[in-house]
Amino acid sequence: MAFNKKLVTGMTLAASMSVLAACGGGSDEGSNGESGEAAEGITIFQTKVEISEQLEAAAAAYTEETGVDVEVIGTTGDDYAQQLQIRLNNGTGPSIFSVENAQVAQRLESYMYDLSNEDMVENIAPDMELALDDKVIGIPYGVEGFGIVYNKEMVDPADIADMDSFVSTLEGFNAEGINGFGLSSEAYFLIGHISNYPFSLQENPVEFMEQLTNGEVSLTDTPEFGEFGEAMEAIRANTPSPLSTTYDTQVGDFAAGKTAMIHQGNWASGMLDEFEVDFEVGMAPFPLAGNDQLAVGVGSNWAVNSDKDQAEIDGAIEFLDWLHTSETGQKFIVEDFGFIPAMTNIEAGDLDPLSQAVLEASNSGETIPWSHNYYPANVIPNDFTPAAESFFVNEDMTGDELIEALEAAWQNAAQ
Amino acid sequence: MKNRKNIGWYLLFTVPLLVIFTIVVVIPFVIGIYYAFFDWDGIGANPMVFTGLENFRVLLEDERFLRSAWLTVLFTVLSVISVNVVGLAFALLVTSKLKLANLARTMLFMPYLIGGLILGYIWQFVFLDVFTLLGEVTGFESIFFNWLNNETFALFALVFVFTWQMAGYVMIVYIAGIQGIPGELVEAAKIDGASSWQRFLNITAPLLMPAFTISLFLTLSYGFKIYDVNLSLTGGGPANATELFAMNIYNEIFGYGNYGYGQAKAIVFFIIIAAITMTQVYITKKREVEM
Repeated sequence: MAFNKKLVTGMTLAASMSVLAACGGGSDEGSNGESGEAAEGITIFQTKVEISEQLEAAAAAYTEETGVDVEVIGTTGDDYAQQLQIRLNNGTGPSIFSVENAQVAQRLESYMYDLSNEDMVENIAPDMELALDDKVIGIPYGVEGFGIVYNKEMVDPADIADMDSFVSTLEGFNAEGINGFGLSSEAYFLIGHISNYPFSLQENPVEFMEQLTNGEVSLTDTPEFGEFGEAMEAIRANTPSPLSTTYDTQVGDFAAGKTAMIHQGNWASGMLDEFEVDFEVGMAPFPLAGNDQLAVGVGSNWAVNSDKDQAEIDGAIEFLDWLHTSETGQKFIVEDFGFIPAMTNIEAGDLDPLSQAVLEASNSGETIPWSHNYYPANVIPNDFTPAAESFFVNEDMTGDELIEALEAAWQNAAQ
Repeated sequence: MKNRKNIGWYLLFTVPLLVIFTIVVVIPFVIGIYYAFFDWDGIGANPMVFTGLENFRVLLEDERFLRSAWLTVLFTVLSVISVNVVGLAFALLVTSKLKLANLARTMLFMPYLIGGLILGYIWQFVFLDVFTLLGEVTGFESIFFNWLNNETFALFALVFVFTWQMAGYVMIVYIAGIQGIPGELVEAAKIDGASSWQRFLNITAPLLMPAFTISLFLTLSYGFKIYDVNLSLTGGGPANATELFAMNIYNEIFGYGNYGYGQAKAIVFFIIIAAITMTQVYITKKREVEM
């Protein structure tokens, strides 16, 4: 017995030692490998999970053409910002990374390489570049848009053209036992995107948000927000709780015909293709306060890490240049990534119906902007989401109280 | 000569561990204390502003942090009780003369072998689909509904899943304790006519004190530090109703970008855990019976 005990202790020790040793060895190899590659290649770290595989294919094609090694670092999307921060701090930062908006760029300012003098910048469509103090620091991924994605067999766009008929359509679906309008539990799909409308419908959204931060205007006194609160009440009353739904089930249920409408953007079309939906889908504006336009903006931007040595920076710029000017690169953007180009020198390809709707809206200029790109940094996951969650959990919380909670959340984040 | 050889062996085994421990625990810990006195967003290139004890002062007025502290205490108290009661019950069950004792022992230990993250996702599904279904079928909709969408019940769901995970582990500790109790003591008590409850209270329980010490320590510190199940099961929601200590600190640092303030929270968190667990070990140690 005694012998056995010793043996067990010994083995446990040995096992834990080898685990520790393995960890040490592994990380050593990793850092050696990366610093070795950095000299002759570039690394890309970006937030859009939907294009991970396609981007790797583009990287491989680039390597084949030029011999320059391009490594795409995988991401899960949700924790991109944290992962990027960790990588930048510990010196394993990527040469090219994505930046969502000016708020994020401001925080990472010391890592943003000035791209103003690069040729490709001239091709960026008007007002689509990401700039910080007159310096262009980001190349837009492409144009994206969101609104009500609806099943054309179940919904007539005329029935959702204004708020009253939208609500009565929801009530009708509820009576039939169909989910009329699906949101999902993730921060941006629960409140982030939909909260855009009352902001974007202001005459000058950016100015309005500045005034809000300075306490010169109040959400509760602004009529669009009152109506937004009522709309959210109607959604809560007539649809299953979005907190029990994920993005996957939200889109999946829509594809299966269990949900008539979802609040999504053209990025969802990739997933709809996978489900091989057998009905036509369309995208309609969310009819808040008479709104008849889709919300269109830039989802993310390519930025170059100025913390790298000049050779790597040049390599990174060359890659971006290749992606946006060469025929192969453009083909990847349009066909494989499925982006609606935000560059004047790239022709949009054969688009899926949702992207087509966004492109048409974008070309006609009949759009409302993405206000959430001007929100205080991280306010959506940090502060808006808890407020929206308590709204959906507590049936007795009114729309007005939701607006008050959002206002408090804004002030908390803007401090 | 022999002594020197021994020292060599000691060094061989302790030095690598000491080095690793210093690198991954001691040094980050000290740096962390240093950061706690600064206002900094965690980006290496951005300025760090020395603010002295400001971070610790703000902390006392931070309602979200205080709420999170209260939730953590509530969670830990509930789970320490439930994990130990269930674990001890399991241990008594599988050390009795049950035919399937060995099989039961394995089955009950299994949940501990599943990682907390995966466990959280599995139970998310159970609460979402199975519970709602049970509610519809049995009609007990006031008990069987999606606990995760209720601000009060979400915490209970966490306790439930944590118990499910940890009870098997604590059971092993208690089994070892029970098997260490000499058979003649139990037999003597039996001959004296003690009922099984009396035997448990007067013989098993006092002799199990060392096992209690270990189990309480483990569950207390695990409970306070819980993060993985918290993240995957509720993600702190709904409406921050289950945002426990560790998650609050993570959100402060990576969500709000307040690196220094988050570190200050982490230090307070460390002091609280250390104080509570050491008090507990001190108290239960005193009650241990030497044979």
